[in-house]
Amino acid sequence: MRRAPAWARGLAYAAATLVSLLFLYPYAWMLSSAFRSTRDILAAPLALWPANAGTDAFASIREAGGVSLARAILNSLAITGASTLLAVAVTALGAYALTRRPHAPAFRLLRAGFLLSMMYPYMLLVIPVYLVMFKLGLLGGYTGIILFLSLGPVQFFLFEQFFRTLPLEVIEAATVDGAGEAQILFRVILPMAAPVVATVATITFLLNWAQWFPVLVISATPDTYTLPVALLALNGELGTNFQGIMAMALVTTVPPALVFLAAQRHVMGGLTEGAVKG
Amino acid sequence: MPAMRREGVFYLFALPFAALTILFGLWPILLSIQVSFTDSATALQPAPAWVGLANYRAIFADPVFLAALVRTLAYTVLAVAANLSFALAFALLLDSALIGRGRLFFKLAVFLPVVTPDVAGYVVWRWLYDQSFGAVNAALRLLGLPAFGGLASPRTAMLALLIAELWHHAGFYVLIFLANLAILDRAQAEAAQIDGATALQRFRHVTLPQLRPAMAVNLVYAVIQFLKTFTAVVVMTKGGPADATNFVSFYAYQQFDSAQYGQATAMATVLFAIVLLVALTAYRGAERGRA
Repeated sequence: MRRAPAWARGLAYAAATLVSLLFLYPYAWMLSSAFRSTRDILAAPLALWPANAGTDAFASIREAGGVSLARAILNSLAITGASTLLAVAVTALGAYALTRRPHAPAFRLLRAGFLLSMMYPYMLLVIPVYLVMFKLGLLGGYTGIILFLSLGPVQFFLFEQFFRTLPLEVIEAATVDGAGEAQILFRVILPMAAPVVATVATITFLLNWAQWFPVLVISATPDTYTLPVALLALNGELGTNFQGIMAMALVTTVPPALVFLAAQRHVMGGLTEGAVKG
Repeated sequence: MPAMRREGVFYLFALPFAALTILFGLWPILLSIQVSFTDSATALQPAPAWVGLANYRAIFADPVFLAALVRTLAYTVLAVAANLSFALAFALLLDSALIGRGRLFFKLAVFLPVVTPDVAGYVVWRWLYDQSFGAVNAALRLLGLPAFGGLASPRTAMLALLIAELWHHAGFYVLIFLANLAILDRAQAEAAQIDGATALQRFRHVTLPQLRPAMAVNLVYAVIQFLKTFTAVVVMTKGGPADATNFVSFYAYQQFDSAQYGQATAMATVLFAIVLLVALTAYRGAERGRA
């Protein structure tokens, strides 16, 4: 093929760069606003480089949205961590059973029920979930939040798709050797599944870190608030602590951004695969 | 006997998954549908009063709900069109021979917002639109353009919301298109070029038909996504100004918050029915396409 003329390539790069900068600008603005003074911002709302950098904003959010920043960070880490581990274990086992015995009537019913519940408008599902949590006595605690966040469609589709591609000969060979199903799963399948487990864990971490509505609804007090919920509460408070809000948004954004950049290939690959095949 | 025990293990494996699906999926949905047939004042009591379809009649006689429903559908059409056309254009640009180095950077730039917590992203956008702090109007002033009402004006609030949501979601659709473009049959386009087809003709008759799978996936995802628009409204507008961004999901939540459980769950059921209809239609369309 002929190489495209230089002006065409220049134009393409200009367009792609412009779009990318527009998408990244909110991050730069959030970053600089967290470190600039109100006077500086009002004088030059567009500027990104802080004239007088300061960390006052971070001191102002030691208590934010009814919870201490340290506690919100710990809540985020604990809730996201625990729900990620649980989601990976529960979904992997479930998807494995459902793909190994796809024609069992109970499993067909379970799969249909799961897909149906994943289609229910999520934020409206959270409302009846409040009633269920109430009936189960799980309102206000970590257990209810963690359990609710341990079920998701992306995780299920990724595992299901992986287990469907398993070579059956390997399983048959192990069966002939007298291995039980539990042995086959833990000794044969699990080592092969390590990459998909890592991908699902990373994606679940990113998705659950961002969760806010279930956390807000199941919480009885701000003591169980995670970072996004505390940020939302701070943003809704009377009086404008603009820099504090930007600092809080920064604290909420940085951990998943770092995880994503470190594992971008797996995250982008996993999310597209889960979507296309699901 | 050993064979039965062997089969039993699979049920054991599936047990936790089944428990979570029932407890936090099916039970709340059934409960929600049940509440939609009861009187709000008694809905949470052990013996709720059944009122038949009264809640459904009430919401379809409620002008605020009907306006919210029409607004939700209109916003969905606009948002889906904007997101998918942007995503397709950007994916074609990145996939073209014109872009070589730096492709990964461009991809990461549009995808980073997808994994950014939506609350954080929308909080930043809310302030970007702010009349005194915000960068949007400062930039327009700098370029000598008229000011943008943003979230403050009923005429522009929906557009402002749409832009922020595009920022958050479009990267995902770009990625789906790129995955499809990567498996395109290049020989067809080259053959068409040799036959003298123009770039536009090649795109319409060779590339676009091959992009049908990605288009179908994106369409279903985007329609469901924007029908359910909620977080952006809570963070940025609270349904205002003057109901300009009051969508069904937000209105239903407000009703629930003011203890109108029956009507809130009736609205939820209506939205669920619409989403289910879209999903099933798309699924059947995809099955037919495969056959």
